[in-house]
Amino acid sequence: MPQGAYLRLLLFFLGPAVLVYSLFSIYPLLATIINSLYSRQNDGAYLWEGLGNFRTLLLDPTWSVPFWNALRNNFIFFLIHMCVQNPIGLLLAALLSLPRLRFRATYRTLIFMPTMLSVVVIGFVWQLILSPLWGIARMFLNFFGLGFLFAPWLGVESSALITVSLISVWQFVGIPMILIYTALLAIPDELIDAATVDGLNQFQAFVWVKLPLIWPTIGLVSILTFVNNFNAFDLIYAMKGALAGPNFSTDIMGTLFYRTFFGNQLQLGNPSMGSAIATMMLIVILTGVMVYLFLVQRRIQRYSF
Amino acid sequence: MAEVVIEKLSKSFGSVEVLKDIDLTVGDGAFVVLVGPSGCGKSTLLRSIAGLEDVSGGAITIGGRKVNDLAPAQREIAMVFQSYALYPHMDVAANMGFGLKFAGIPKAEIAARVSEAARILQLEPLLKRRPRELSGGQRQRVAIGRAIVRKPQVFLFDEPLSNLDAALRINTRVEIAKLHKLLAATIVYVTHDQVEAMTLADKIVVMNQGRIEQQGKPLDLYYRPANLFVAGFIGSPAMNFLKGEVVAGGTGLGADGRIAIALPPGATPGMKVTLGIRPEHMSIAVGGGDLHLAATVELVERLGETGFAHLRLASGTVVIAEIRGETGLKTGDRTHVALDPAHLHLFGADGRRLG
Ligand SMILES: Nc1ncnc2c1ncn2[C@@H]1O[C@H](COP(=O)(O)OP(=O)(O)OP(=O)(O)O)[C@@H](O)[C@H]1O
Ligand SMILES: [Mg+2]
Repeated sequence: MPQGAYLRLLLFFLGPAVLVYSLFSIYPLLATIINSLYSRQNDGAYLWEGLGNFRTLLLDPTWSVPFWNALRNNFIFFLIHMCVQNPIGLLLAALLSLPRLRFRATYRTLIFMPTMLSVVVIGFVWQLILSPLWGIARMFLNFFGLGFLFAPWLGVESSALITVSLISVWQFVGIPMILIYTALLAIPDELIDAATVDGLNQFQAFVWVKLPLIWPTIGLVSILTFVNNFNAFDLIYAMKGALAGPNFSTDIMGTLFYRTFFGNQLQLGNPSMGSAIATMMLIVILTGVMVYLFLVQRRIQRYSF
Repeated sequence: MAEVVIEKLSKSFGSVEVLKDIDLTVGDGAFVVLVGPSGCGKSTLLRSIAGLEDVSGGAITIGGRKVNDLAPAQREIAMVFQSYALYPHMDVAANMGFGLKFAGIPKAEIAARVSEAARILQLEPLLKRRPRELSGGQRQRVAIGRAIVRKPQVFLFDEPLSNLDAALRINTRVEIAKLHKLLAATIVYVTHDQVEAMTLADKIVVMNQGRIEQQGKPLDLYYRPANLFVAGFIGSPAMNFLKGEVVAGGTGLGADGRIAIALPPGATPGMKVTLGIRPEHMSIAVGGGDLHLAATVELVERLGETGFAHLRLASGTVVIAEIRGETGLKTGDRTHVALDPAHLHLFGADGRRLG
């Protein structure tokens, strides 16, 4: 093929994707990073700051206290998902793939349903459920004689973040479940039959045969959880507003960024510092993904059957 | 090794009865091959013996012990699957020793058994490889090795060679035959392949729609099929069938004329029968004769020294006859075909063999 024609072909097939990707992904990313290197003056002019914004963010207590608080909360948010959502997802997937389960499709749909609901709806519904005034959570606990356990979980600093995280877990547990369930389905029945003949019971077959074969999927689920959690914003905003109360105890990177960039109540929007926070989010996520790619992914074997 | 006795076995999936009234004895050290059309229940029968399927009725006895309620691992069986079903995440040695580990056998003993099996199957250089680094034939040997190390009473094979190419199939077939002698093993073996069945089996069991149609020595099934189904199933190309009715001193074949054959006792004139004859027992003949039928050549298939001629008889029935050497036969030729009287099979209206 002559070179000109080849280049034209290349342009034809790759051009649209490159264009869209550059316009909506690469350009905003670069613009954000560049933005974080300037500061906006009161007269609207932009002044070169170098890494000054980052120094302020990490070292000046006015900025660093909320920043470290949000980062810590975000890690807690992530750890709760990792330690609760994904194990439950795995368990549900294992149960769903039991050979003699009835109503399989019904369970699958019901568990996956919340994932498809709007976060705003979820936030609202759970706020109603957990309301100390007329929430059914209290009545529900009372009914079992466990009323003393009830607390206004969403309103207490020590439990708000955990509560919001668990609500998010409840909403999204369907995703790890479906991904892992699909991976389990790909394991041939004969392999499990072979394990049965080898003397393993269902549980042992799961631990010693199925689990090693789905590590790649579990790895994938983990990294998806990580990326999603560090990009999270909507549930906290819907339930606790931009101030992520009480007393910033549910503040995560997304809400901190939102307040900083767009401003909130008395706080004026600061695009430069907002961009600096966004860039930090990018760095955290990138670091996580790198660690996964280079340290974890390489050790995981993928199997075809 | 042990004897397997299956009595009045039945198995249903929901309302579908897949196995009906199966009676089968696999002698100590015998090689029994199950054949039958797809979906007739061969795998289900094998899996029932293995304990991978609960049976709906009847009894399975292995080595004098009733095993109906025992888990697969306690039945002292080993199974080789069609897809090999090797554990992809373990190397060859671990694959073979995996079951023993769960049986609580000491490490040293496991290692000894694995290396013994590896020696028999020439797997020694491959012990540290993962299944995906093996060829199809090597995987098959590992699967067999995994069965051997268990020192089972009975080996169960479900179409173990069907994923191999033709040359490797023949090789592995011979290997399995040798292994059978070497281990003096009791084997139940499912296959689709006639040649495998005929060459390996001490006893062939022909199944159809969940029932056993006939069981017996390979050549008995070949020379004295008990019914039309077995007659048509065993042998390739299949036996030719000609419809007719009994007349005095022979069989009338309608437009094809009548042929004089010795009639079995109980064959009364007017009775509807089916005449069966294998391609290898038919030959091209010149001119008419007692057991000659007029035919037109439809197609000639040459395989080298032998071949097959597809012949349309006067009645419209197409039969296949074996031809040898250069016959000069070509499509459209009018000729005659001679039937070998020693190898005629007569079946009654109910499909059963007469005489
Ligand atoms: N788990 C199951 N549930 C319902 N029906 C089944 C199940 N397993 C098998 N069957 C049915 O039982 C019948 C026998 O199946 P089986 O697998 O034993 O056939 P087979 O003789 O091994 O066929 P093939 O030669 O194609 O392997 C089939 O009609 C099949 O549809
Ligand atoms: Mg089968």
